[in-house]
Amino acid sequence: MSASPSSVQAVELKGRMLLVSVLRVYDTEPQNLSMMLAARRDEAPELMRDMPIVLDLEPVAEAGEAALREVVERVRAEGFRLIGLQDGEAARALESADATGLPPRLSMGGRGGSGELPLGEGRAPRETADQGASGEASAATQSASGPVAVHSATRVVDQPVRSGQQIYARGGDLLVTAPVSAGAELLADGNITVLGPLRGRALAGVRGLVTARIFCRRLEAELLSIGGHYRIAEDITEAERGDNRLVTLAGESINITES
Amino acid sequence: MARIVVVTSGKGGVGKTTTSAAIATGLALRGHRTAVIDFDVGLRNLDLIMGCERRVVYDFVNVINGDANLKQALIRDKRVDNLHILPASQTRDKDALTEDGVERVLGEMAEEFDYIVCDSPAGIERGALMAAYHADEAIVVTNPEVSSVRDSDRILGILASKTRQVEQGGDPIPGRLLLTRYSPERVERGEMLSIEDVGEILAIDLLGVIPESQAVLNASNAGQPVVMDMESDAGQAYDDAVARFLGESRPLRFVDAPKRGLFGRLFGG
Repeated sequence: MSASPSSVQAVELKGRMLLVSVLRVYDTEPQNLSMMLAARRDEAPELMRDMPIVLDLEPVAEAGEAALREVVERVRAEGFRLIGLQDGEAARALESADATGLPPRLSMGGRGGSGELPLGEGRAPRETADQGASGEASAATQSASGPVAVHSATRVVDQPVRSGQQIYARGGDLLVTAPVSAGAELLADGNITVLGPLRGRALAGVRGLVTARIFCRRLEAELLSIGGHYRIAEDITEAERGDNRLVTLAGESINITES
Repeated sequence: MARIVVVTSGKGGVGKTTTSAAIATGLALRGHRTAVIDFDVGLRNLDLIMGCERRVVYDFVNVINGDANLKQALIRDKRVDNLHILPASQTRDKDALTEDGVERVLGEMAEEFDYIVCDSPAGIERGALMAAYHADEAIVVTNPEVSSVRDSDRILGILASKTRQVEQGGDPIPGRLLLTRYSPERVERGEMLSIEDVGEILAIDLLGVIPESQAVLNASNAGQPVVMDMESDAGQAYDDAVARFLGESRPLRFVDAPKRGLFGRLFGG
């Protein structure tokens, strides 16, 4: 329990699940690639900005390591934060040519491009020098359409959220199926849904997603916020309170409607 | 193995100690070997309510520190068989409640008793956390007014995350609501939250409703747990609560104009 002043630790080792999106590349043609990356990014710029991404180059492993390196640079240039390369032929080819500036190889379980990843090899992420690699421009052609995986899970809470508790759905939506008490706080990078009375605070799109919404079965909130714009309880009229309320942001004003 | 029950509330003065004394006494009166522990180290009220303040030699902290053994510190109730009181120290503060110490004492008691009732101090600090940590279930004492309800809600949140059972990967311990100092007349006049209001905010099962009663004050002054005063409304209401605690089904009394639908819902959980 928390009340243990005698044992102040300098470090603590804890297991945590990290949700990682895998960006799979099917086309190394620079123009196509840049266009598709930009399109993906612009769908949810705030969400993508700090989202950890693992790059999967296995579908284009044949493209040659110069082209692959170009892809890595381009993905970074579009503002994606690379934390690893999906382990496989392409990643190993890249690394054996010049490992400088490459993110570590990661085995993401199951679906490696080569299909025959020797177990135990290349599993441990290595240190990499953080200098930009000199990727010579090179090209290949095709169109990278649909299959760029952007995944953000919904965090589901089935217990009542009590006064003093704070729940943050990082990188996604929040669904609470129980009451949210006064003095409790819900935060989400995406939307917030409360299938019970909402009496506490709800802040959706906390990293700037202005299209985020809040829905609650009964609105008695202390504070509502979307994308940094907010309304406090005092500014919420009696008429706006009630059952099945949808909260949206229009321009700079928080709108509450019955839905 | 004993079942450990924490009586808690967050807010002070709502009737935790009165409730701890009444529930423990009620359990003992039904033949269960019961101990009640005062976790309010530094203030010490339970022994007064239980009427054994003049028989305190050693206390909970003495046992934790190994100055005395459990047998020396436990006070046997003179009126009720099977009932023991472990008083708090008045000369120490709550830092004296060490995690290991509390665990060891509770472990030792668990072999001798059927129920251990932990009377939590107010607040959400160490004393309250220690009282709740080892509990198997909780009785949350609440007055029908907003600040008490808010504090109970806070405590329920803490119970959901800071008990041993949860830390070991188990489910949160069950908590039930005991609404005390309830005055149906004042509820009708709109001066007090109704059972319905409180139940809706806290969304937990209802263990009982204790009416506001002069009998509670009288009992405290006399050092006799109010549950022993079966003539009084509060005594009977506590007796009902003990019966429900043990799984019996009893209708609510002393609450005027009961609304069946809601009670069904509260009890049905």
